[in-house]
Amino acid sequence: MCDIIWCKKEVGGKPCDTINYLDPYCFWNWEGKINCAECGTVYFIHMIQGFMYKGPEERPGEKPDTMPLYADKPYDGYSNYRPGVEGRTRPYECKPRAQLLGVADMVKFSIRGRPVRGWRPQPPSAGLAGSFGFHWDIQKLTPDVWEEYQKKIAAGEVKDW
Amino acid sequence: MAKDPRVTNIEDLPGPKSKGEMEEWKMPYEEYCKKIFDVGNEHAKPRPLQGIKWLSCTMYIFTPHSVANLAELGAECVKIEMPRMGDAMRHTSPFNECYLYPLHDTRPMTGTGLGFTNANPNKYFLTMDYHIPEMVEIFYGLVKKFDGLTELYRPGTLDKWKMSYRYLSEINPRFIYVWGGGFGYGPKIFGGSYDILGQAHAGLASITGMHEYMGGHATKQTNWVIDWQSSNLITASIMAAIHHRRKTNLGTMIEFSQVQVPTRMLGHTTTMYGKFGIVRQRWGNWDTQLAVHGIILCGKSDFPDAENPQDKFCARYVMVSAFQDADFKELCAITGMNELYEKYKAHKNRVEGEAQVEIYTALERWAADKTRSQVAKILQDAGLLAEPVRNDREVYESPHYRERGTVRWLDDPLFGDMLLHAGYSSGMMEKTPRRINWHWRPVGADNKKIYNEMLGIPLSKIQEWYDKAYI
Repeated sequence: MCDIIWCKKEVGGKPCDTINYLDPYCFWNWEGKINCAECGTVYFIHMIQGFMYKGPEERPGEKPDTMPLYADKPYDGYSNYRPGVEGRTRPYECKPRAQLLGVADMVKFSIRGRPVRGWRPQPPSAGLAGSFGFHWDIQKLTPDVWEEYQKKIAAGEVKDW
Repeated sequence: MAKDPRVTNIEDLPGPKSKGEMEEWKMPYEEYCKKIFDVGNEHAKPRPLQGIKWLSCTMYIFTPHSVANLAELGAECVKIEMPRMGDAMRHTSPFNECYLYPLHDTRPMTGTGLGFTNANPNKYFLTMDYHIPEMVEIFYGLVKKFDGLTELYRPGTLDKWKMSYRYLSEINPRFIYVWGGGFGYGPKIFGGSYDILGQAHAGLASITGMHEYMGGHATKQTNWVIDWQSSNLITASIMAAIHHRRKTNLGTMIEFSQVQVPTRMLGHTTTMYGKFGIVRQRWGNWDTQLAVHGIILCGKSDFPDAENPQDKFCARYVMVSAFQDADFKELCAITGMNELYEKYKAHKNRVEGEAQVEIYTALERWAADKTRSQVAKILQDAGLLAEPVRNDREVYESPHYRERGTVRWLDDPLFGDMLLHAGYSSGMMEKTPRRINWHWRPVGADNKKIYNEMLGIPLSKIQEWYDKAYI
């Protein structure tokens, strides 16, 4: 469950119409001021056990205590502010990568510099009905990675740990 | 040397000449342990479960891991998966979407996600759509040759397909059959389960994490502890069943409800309720029975310039233990909390909730201008028990785990260089250690080995089944 502040503030002659999401982890029991991610209007709220006990009340001229985690505009094709947009949404420090693209991270070498089969496409095994042997012949299957590996060895980039 | 060759004099024998000398000759205990456990040389020793053959119709973590334990101990385990698709767990991966390719011959662009790790090492991978009538006899053929099976379908599903223990024990009376799943028979028989559901349903999550007025919530463990722990208990049951079979020559059925397991992990919780009607509450990083005995937050990170947030922000926690009176006195003297020592001299006073709030708050105030390492060093130098809360990277770099072989690299025969830990973190065995041969293999990787070499099915038939997607 997640409560929201639907900002209807008039900005430039039309309503802001931004939904600011109040994630339960930060707002379950919370009292304070929070800004709208789009227009910056500051609202006071008081939540008890996830229930909006007071507010949202506008507090013009005051500084927000925190920001919403995420906000979007349903009447504007759901354009949105993802977590960590400076000055608009709350920083989200646990992001595993700079950007989550939904695309697999591919690697050819482990952190100690040895080949690992973490990229695609891979050549088929040519076994019978899906069968595989017990040996990855990297030199034969992917000579380019093998060559890169030899260069790494020569450069002393392959480590034990 | 004695004149008569039939006479043995102790002086003539190699080795110590007296009990005292024998004691002197004994190598130090540490060297002795290193020699007998011989880390890194596990594959030169016998496999304890060699000869046991196990089938696995399992998915995700819970039931596959119960079979993985057998496979690490040397049993020959065959995992039967859906043709061309495999275990659903192959298609899960952490945020970084780290896959190892390929998943299957026909799918060079799809990989197996690292979510599959640790629950499937050393297994052979077979594909079979065993619920279609054409394949039922083949499945029975496997049952005749194997010692047991682990499955995780909703209760009664395999019964419907005539593959439950009732049917299989008629084919193979020595067969050990394991059903592992959510609730088992009872009011929620059709309820499926996940680890988080188990943690919630059995009350474990209700006592994990800090109390709400301290900013906490009912919390699940980030990792799937119930899955891993339940499967260990299944393996213990299988071992007992194998022992029972040696005595009686009969198999058995094991019914294992995953949501029961967290109740076993609740310690005194349930018994306390039975005695007093008290419902246990969360106490997070502190301890309800000992004080001081918990984890505190320090003000400064050990790695303020690191890029990774886990290093940059979270390298601030230290485990501290000083619950004995003398230790608590020392802790108070170092941290300048002498007033608190006077107030809470007796353990029964400082273990109270209000006292703990006061003591830990004062400790964190003292640690506010210090890094985690500074706090740990100050306390360790004073002879107190303190350890930084480590992250994965620090565990990887820890000499303790490297020397004992807990964390090590494996040159996987199919997937290359992989860091592993699970197989070697389950205790050491002198004569018959666990070992990891491979992390996993692609879907259907051992079709030929099982169908052709074990069951004697002609290659042309295997190809035909493959083309029809039966396997």
